[in-house]
Amino acid sequence: MIVAAALCPAPPLLVRELTGTDPVAADLRIACLDAAAELMAADPEMIAVAGAAEQTRTWDGASSLDLTLFAPGARARLRAGRSPGLPPALGVGAWLLGQAGYTGDRMLQSVAGNEPAGRCAGIGTSLAGSRARVSLLVMADGTARRGLKAPGYLDERSAGFDADVERAVRSGRLDALLSIDQDLARDLMATGRPAWQVLAGAVAGRRVTSEIRYVGDPFGVAYLVASLRVPPDQP
Amino acid sequence: MPGEQSDLRLGRHSFAPGQLLVMAIVNRTPDSFFQPGDTWDEPVAMERVHQVIAEGADIVDIGGVPAAPGQEVDANEEIRRTVGFIAAVRGAYPDVVISADTWRHEVAREACAAGADLINDSWGGWDGQVAEVAAEFGAALVCSHAGGQRPRTRPFRVSYQDVMADVLDHTQKLAARALAAGVDPARIVIDAAHDFGKNTWHSLEVTRRLTEMSATGWPVLISVSNKDFIGETLNLPLPDRLAGTLAATAVCAWQGARIFRAHQVIQTRQVLDMVAAIRGDTPPARAVRGLA
Repeated sequence: MIVAAALCPAPPLLVRELTGTDPVAADLRIACLDAAAELMAADPEMIAVAGAAEQTRTWDGASSLDLTLFAPGARARLRAGRSPGLPPALGVGAWLLGQAGYTGDRMLQSVAGNEPAGRCAGIGTSLAGSRARVSLLVMADGTARRGLKAPGYLDERSAGFDADVERAVRSGRLDALLSIDQDLARDLMATGRPAWQVLAGAVAGRRVTSEIRYVGDPFGVAYLVASLRVPPDQP
Repeated sequence: MPGEQSDLRLGRHSFAPGQLLVMAIVNRTPDSFFQPGDTWDEPVAMERVHQVIAEGADIVDIGGVPAAPGQEVDANEEIRRTVGFIAAVRGAYPDVVISADTWRHEVAREACAAGADLINDSWGGWDGQVAEVAAEFGAALVCSHAGGQRPRTRPFRVSYQDVMADVLDHTQKLAARALAAGVDPARIVIDAAHDFGKNTWHSLEVTRRLTEMSATGWPVLISVSNKDFIGETLNLPLPDRLAGTLAATAVCAWQGARIFRAHQVIQTRQVLDMVAAIRGDTPPARAVRGLA
């Protein structure tokens, strides 16, 4: 059962070692670390991390992000992982848990970018049922087309799309995330779509309240950080 | 053809390996990233050509589409912006090496017909027919690495197991494709394409390891002028990137690059002349000190 959930974006620049001398997005990083800390405070038996990637599969909980994929030449300063590198969304999530000081059990679940909503929700249900007390960290990004300098250039539809997602999270009505248009999400480079739907499945039927910790798009990509509180079901 | 660098042929010219060439950028665009619109008007663009040739440019690189996303420029509009101008430059300078900065074979064809000697395809061979156009016209071709990205897109969380291995693999495959299409082997050039499909760490890595490109034997072009990886490395805005540009230029020249695409010709020429002298490829212009 889910005892707590958090939503964080997964830009590589969250990893402090990748941004050079300038911390770049310190407020975003702090918001994500606070959200991760709240997951730990719920005293879970395990923290599950979900994020979009090329394939749907689970990964060894001891795996980490290979930072040299993004920052060759910084090798001397980066911890070299022995295990195969995680896909970025999961890798950034695993990095966050490490930064937050989490040393307990982890389950790392990637979801393919083309996985339909029903499958994503089913994966969420499975994660929720995997232990009696599960905290869920969902690594998901909004659109990457929020301005002229955005990675995907400006698409006017981005603002409305991201506002819909924010509204669903803010209101705790996460089932709305299941009706996101997959094609539109792809057009807008909203890579978080499958992971949002995992979240919706994991807390389906539960009462959810949320605290939005960060909303912004400093680099043209929509970032949303939220803590989702899921009180125990009444007997 | 791994191994020794050999003569590079561009237009009627042949350049030995030690000769370092400045390729001056002349944009026929209203919205390129550096000094946007400066040479949008044709008379001003021609004035810029006169100037860069007087300053020592060996090649004039004429482009009609900015690298960044923005207003759509289709092939017809690109032709309209560049081809007549290429013809005018050819008329004014029968001998200068003219490069057409385009990824489209339709544009490359018109540009070569108007007198271009070199097709500078910065988008990694996106349009496979460009090589055939180069072969048909006896033109030279730049084979670049853009990480498989569609033209006019920005990198989004790109990662590489080994970016230089990817650069070497892709550019050499393109070079082989160009050879197979019939491009003169003495007219094939490779380019890592800094910033294209790369984050700043990746562009620094290809700069650091540029020797691996020159070791292939293909002449190496570098295009680093005022780019974002320099701006991010030094945390400097566009007008303040000249020193960083020249540092990267010197490092690449030292490692064997031969063509240097540049906005600031005089400074680039001086850096290349200095590096050539340090390498021992050329003598000092005047040596009297301690010799009198």
